[in-house]
Amino acid sequence: MPVVDVNPDELRDLTGHDEKSDDELIDDMFALGLEYEGETEDGDLQLEFAPDRLDRLSVEGVARSLRYQYGDDRGVYVPGTNDPDWTIEVDESVPDERPYVTGAVIRGVDLDDHALDSLIQLQEKLHATMGRKRAKGAIGIHDLTMLKGRAATGDGEGGEVGNSITYRGIDPDGDRFVPLDSDAEMTPAEVLRVHPTGETYAPLVSEYDRYPAIYDDIGLFSFPPVINGRRTEVSTDSRDLFVEMTGTDQWTIDHMCNIVCYALAARGAKIEAVEVEYSDRTLRRPDFGVQTKTVTHERIERTLGIDLSAERVLDLLERSGLDAETNEVGDEELAYEVEIPPYRVDVLHPLDIVDDVGRAYGFNDLEPRYPDVGTVGGRHDRSKLEDAAREVLVGLGFEDLLNFHMISEEENFERMRIAPGDDAVGGGDPASILEPYSEDYTMLRTWALPSLMMVLENNTHRAYPQDLAEIGLAAEVDESENTGVAEHRTVAGVLARHDASYEDAKARLQTVARNFDVELETPATDHPTFIDGRTAAVVMDGERVGVLGEVHPEVLVEHDLELPVAAFEFRLDALE
Amino acid sequence: MKLPESHAAVLNAASADDARTIDQLADDTGFKPETVTGAVFELESEGLLAVEESVEETVTLTDEAREYLADGLPEVRLYETALDAGADADPVSMGQVIGQSGLEGPEVDIALSNYARKGYGAIESGEITTDADADPERDAEADALADLDAGEAVGDEDTLDQLERRGLVTRAESTVRAVTLTDEGVTALMEGVEVSETVGQLTPEMLTSGEWKEVEFAEYNVEADAERIEGGKTHILRQTANRVKDTLVGMGFEEMEGPHADADFWINDCLFMPQDHPARTHWDRFALEEPTKIRDLPEDLVERVRDAHMNGVGDDGDGYHSPWSEEFARSIALRGHTTSLSMRYLSGHEVGDLEPPQRFFSVEKVYRNDTLDPTHLLEFYQIEGWVMAEDLSVRDLMGTFEEFYAQFGITDIEFKPHYNPYTEPSFELFGTHPTTGEMVEIGNSGMFREEVLSPLGVECDVMAWGLALERLLMLMYGFEDIRDVHGTLCDLELLRETEVLH
Repeated sequence: MPVVDVNPDELRDLTGHDEKSDDELIDDMFALGLEYEGETEDGDLQLEFAPDRLDRLSVEGVARSLRYQYGDDRGVYVPGTNDPDWTIEVDESVPDERPYVTGAVIRGVDLDDHALDSLIQLQEKLHATMGRKRAKGAIGIHDLTMLKGRAATGDGEGGEVGNSITYRGIDPDGDRFVPLDSDAEMTPAEVLRVHPTGETYAPLVSEYDRYPAIYDDIGLFSFPPVINGRRTEVSTDSRDLFVEMTGTDQWTIDHMCNIVCYALAARGAKIEAVEVEYSDRTLRRPDFGVQTKTVTHERIERTLGIDLSAERVLDLLERSGLDAETNEVGDEELAYEVEIPPYRVDVLHPLDIVDDVGRAYGFNDLEPRYPDVGTVGGRHDRSKLEDAAREVLVGLGFEDLLNFHMISEEENFERMRIAPGDDAVGGGDPASILEPYSEDYTMLRTWALPSLMMVLENNTHRAYPQDLAEIGLAAEVDESENTGVAEHRTVAGVLARHDASYEDAKARLQTVARNFDVELETPATDHPTFIDGRTAAVVMDGERVGVLGEVHPEVLVEHDLELPVAAFEFRLDALE
Repeated sequence: MKLPESHAAVLNAASADDARTIDQLADDTGFKPETVTGAVFELESEGLLAVEESVEETVTLTDEAREYLADGLPEVRLYETALDAGADADPVSMGQVIGQSGLEGPEVDIALSNYARKGYGAIESGEITTDADADPERDAEADALADLDAGEAVGDEDTLDQLERRGLVTRAESTVRAVTLTDEGVTALMEGVEVSETVGQLTPEMLTSGEWKEVEFAEYNVEADAERIEGGKTHILRQTANRVKDTLVGMGFEEMEGPHADADFWINDCLFMPQDHPARTHWDRFALEEPTKIRDLPEDLVERVRDAHMNGVGDDGDGYHSPWSEEFARSIALRGHTTSLSMRYLSGHEVGDLEPPQRFFSVEKVYRNDTLDPTHLLEFYQIEGWVMAEDLSVRDLMGTFEEFYAQFGITDIEFKPHYNPYTEPSFELFGTHPTTGEMVEIGNSGMFREEVLSPLGVECDVMAWGLALERLLMLMYGFEDIRDVHGTLCDLELLRETEVLH
């Protein structure tokens, strides 16, 4: 979940509530779903929240939400935008993989250290969330005064737009610029090789034939989504900014741009539109258009489980920063046409508006009630069988165990003296994990005996006898299954004691078979895990379902055991 | 008076004016000292014997001391060799003296450290001299060792302390009991003491012959600890799971079951999780290398799910601005939550179309590619439950969970508004810890979104929640490291010793 650092003084300033203590602010933010996690070294409050309200990824957004909560603001606010002076021309050479761009010009911003930190944080957090680590959307912010626009070529319509920059694709070594945090001129390909930021983001573009690049009249100044040029770096002296965003989806970058513009507007900056000129269309950005969704009164009452008046609903909507009108016409069902501000990225469906109403009302003020719905409960057959078998094993004195289903090939096969594909219990082909995180967990176990041997190995310092049993999942690759994996429950038991013998294991198995009225036969067989001549197949009601025997000394020594172990394993469904 | 055999023998062996020790009584009667001790205490409590306890110190020679008794103390041997080499006249080289002395290994250090201390001479700059006044025949430590060996007491505490420091003797204190007959004991003996017959074990023969009527059973020390045995026990996490299952069945929930390795379609796509959601990236899930794809998915459902992702649901619905590929949806992974089972059941493809009302649950394993630490496992049990009915509200959800958690002693539930891609409204559940009183997170819940239900063909409301079973276990038992309990690193002792909860 995202964490945002918020300076409490800035928060007081931006909300206009100087009287609020830090603790009061923390409580107020908890009510919004922002959970206080601690303080940074600089005394900022660290707040964690679920990744829906991404417009709260900076102090400005948090302050805006608080002002609605306090009732200082109501309804939708849209900042005005001035007419465009700048154009982003999209050249035909732009990489197919990353064809979209958007932007805005910000004028008269007052960037003190706090404001600049907040802007940088917002940019980083948007990259991490909506931007999918810059893959989907990447933000570049530049000092406008350092840009030299070319006279826009224009599309013949008016041509009064004065300046332009160009988004295009270039050869990886096709041009040079000085990236941020560097003194050297390098090509985009060199940036990926030698610049730390370049190395981090290289996987995003390294497969592209042409690399994304943004030019002004002077030349290359930005290499999205990797790094900006040093020439246009923003500092606390910057007053006018150029914001550009590139990505794989126009909607996503447009909304990231809206969130940045709203944050800067909250600090008194003036937003100026830019024109984005694609070969087939021209967009005016930022797009502060207000979306509308219709939600019925019935839906709100049903989901919240309470009766509300239309006035109350309208009030709650406005306190959520939304605008609404009832559309009551004749016999039509009472509904609300709700306007959603352009910084909201979480409203996909009318029920998201119901959630806003609930939050404004206060979910914890709702009275819980037990639903008056009658149903009959019950256990799954397999789970009942599993419990019955477990009860018999525990009655026989086995300690019931619960091990991981994931295991390593070494534990599952090699240390048990078997190999994948062996015609033996446990020798199935493993369902294996793609690029496993840990070498101890690389596959689903094909049988449970290796897990029990590992428990014995880890408990040699504990009192003997150790009689252990487990009923749990085992799985192997099976092409006849829809998922390609055959999963079954397996029953495994070990008897580790100074005089453990085949007979001890068989005696217990006989009891299990008797309890489930299953005919047990144990014809001699061989299995590498067990001692030859002391190994039998477990045959229940005529079907081979497992193996039984004295564990081979090599397996015992491998597991650091200094006493014999008798063991069995068979399929649970044999007891059905 | 009738007494058990050992008691009678001890009473007979005791004397009114000559105090006897336990060992002496054991020698006299032929019973083991522990039997005699038991008899003595019982006779004392009957007033027949008097027992006086005193503490006696025993000093025992160590093996090292016995070697020195044979060979002489190392420092004495050094002195004698030095004397032979003429060190009484002129200093002699150390190396030479040690070579001739036959002292080896640690004996050399022992000899050197005691030599000067006991006034046998001096060692300076690698040369050794002897003191004219030294007399090895009058070495207090050697004398004490000889006395102890002869069974005589040594009164000189300083010498004993010194010998103990040198590791040549061990000293132990023991309680000595002096036993005398009381007047009552004398009277009893004069009146005559008979031996009553006692038996140790009741045998089948005694029962059939009726002999049991004639015998007296030897008394056991019923307070002594018996041998430890290990009974089998259902694993505590399993016990907790069963308790959850019982509770839910009692609340009208039916159990679900389904594949652990499943298509991402059932695990994520049906849940309206966008395919570029961070939780669906490589590092959070366990994708399988083998097998890779599911063979069959219900085609019409795939189409409806794709449409929900791309275009949203309903007139006013929006989709995600993310790509959606059926190829990804078909890929097999270990399920990250058992909500995949809920999707299968709600779709009608598991147990047929479901008509409301319904309640379903499962307590099954899920897999998360997380870091293994005291509170996180790569695989853990998830409690999953849902209720399907016409017209369910947030209040019904709250009421259901309050009821469920109350069964586990967790009360004062708080509902913190939350966000999940698949539910709206959504709540994180917090409850008061039954013992510490802290607020702890106990689950995640919500009403399934239209974008989830509509493609599945569900036309009524469904509320759902999930919770890690291990979390409930740790709250109930107070464990600090879940790895001691769940998995192959488990501690058998902990499993055997954990108190049974009920």
